[in-house]
Amino acid sequence: MSVETLKIDGDEYIKTAQTEEIPEGRGIAIDVDGIEIAIFNADGEFYAISNRCSHQSAPMCKAGEEKINAEHTWTKTRGRVDAEDCSVTCPWHLWKWDLESGKNEASGQRIATFDVTVEDDSVFVRI
Amino acid sequence: MVSSIKRLDADEEVPEEAFDVDIVDLDFHVNPREEELRPYIEDERALDRLSTEFGMWPIPDKWDAAYAIDEGNEGLFTQGRAEVAEDVRRACERFAINEPVVNAGINGLPQQHHPVLKNAVLRAGNSYMLDHFVDEGVLTALSIPKWDVDYALEELNRWGDEDGVVAAYSWYDPREPWGVEEFDPVFERLESLGLPLLLHGSLAFWPQHSYVGDEMLTWTEVLGFDWPIHGMVNTVNMIMRGVFDRYPDLNVVFQEAGHWWLPFVRYRMDEFYEMHPEDIQITPRKFEDGEHYLEKAPSEYLRENIYMCTQPFALPRRAGEARDMLNLSMAADTFVYSSDWPHQTLDPATWFFTSRAFRDDQELRDRILHQNARDILRI
Repeated sequence: MSVETLKIDGDEYIKTAQTEEIPEGRGIAIDVDGIEIAIFNADGEFYAISNRCSHQSAPMCKAGEEKINAEHTWTKTRGRVDAEDCSVTCPWHLWKWDLESGKNEASGQRIATFDVTVEDDSVFVRI
Repeated sequence: MVSSIKRLDADEEVPEEAFDVDIVDLDFHVNPREEELRPYIEDERALDRLSTEFGMWPIPDKWDAAYAIDEGNEGLFTQGRAEVAEDVRRACERFAINEPVVNAGINGLPQQHHPVLKNAVLRAGNSYMLDHFVDEGVLTALSIPKWDVDYALEELNRWGDEDGVVAAYSWYDPREPWGVEEFDPVFERLESLGLPLLLHGSLAFWPQHSYVGDEMLTWTEVLGFDWPIHGMVNTVNMIMRGVFDRYPDLNVVFQEAGHWWLPFVRYRMDEFYEMHPEDIQITPRKFEDGEHYLEKAPSEYLRENIYMCTQPFALPRRAGEARDMLNLSMAADTFVYSSDWPHQTLDPATWFFTSRAFRDDQELRDRILHQNARDILRI
């Protein structure tokens, strides 16, 4: 993928995806020079956070994926993106991470978050 | 300046190296629904009791995981719900699991009340598993009741020599431990069939309705520590009561009993036995056989006959500490990998590829990930 950039107040943002590629309640993951970043769509707002849960390195981008035989479960998805709470829950063990601060309240741990801006239906992330 | 950006394929959820290693998973739960099991209930009377307005028989638990995790009871199905072989294969692909050993996971049975209905449900579960998994080429552990030895033998006679049945599955709980002599016919049959006995934690949690149990207010205490205590009690009971002197080829695998308590039990059991060995001769098996002592140090039975599933591994972050724990636990001889899919304590095999303790000792990694399991399963 070629690198397309955008400058905002002197900061460089890179284009990561088109908004339509990230459905509501789901995420994608990208690797930027070895840094894995998950980008989520929480009710039309886009957030970027480390793609690896600090607990056991689960790929956070899977949060919100439909479960096997989801119709026979209650919550239907593995982890979830919660727009109201502005959080993402890990698909493996349900550790909940604040999408803005990257903080997990129970453990006090933080994972990296990244600034995001949307321009012309493209999602740009500041590394 | 960013030089490269690429979209990640997230379908493979564990490190790439995991896909190059044989991984046997000794605790993979499938969850047939009640309506799928019902056609397998053979006895009309039992079916009537289980399917009329009386329905199943609710047993109140003192505490469960529902409030302790973000999704309440959905913790049982955090990853989904496997009902047929294809579901299992789909789930295993993303976690690099080559050979799951599935069980029906009806772990609420031991605490239920009615022995006839419990047996009917257990048999239905086994019949379902035979049809949907054994016949589909998925390695399967079928269930035997702890509460009814005769019925356990009937079940073993029914499917014990089926290809694809690689282990028998039962439970440890706060009731009589597995060292009790009434289980000898089961051990004898398992030994002759070459099947290991997998013992899973049951929902009959200890300690309920007791002074100490009544003060346990968190899931961390109830699930995190009572199953390991049951595991310890059963392990020591079986060893000290001479089960493995009488059945030296019997292999017992504890599932979800924890595993880091092995060093404690290993050294404490030997120390206490060597200082106080004289009461062994009046335990029933030794008394009957006219033997005075155990044939070996207690820890040797731990090494040779007992196995621990590793989920959740909870490996120390520092490789040196991890190595010490693994050595003290005799992990090369006692640990077997398990994922516990689809439950909330799911344990993908990431530890084996991220910790230097295993990167520097691939032989140990392979013993835990597949070799120990392949040595004892009837594959």
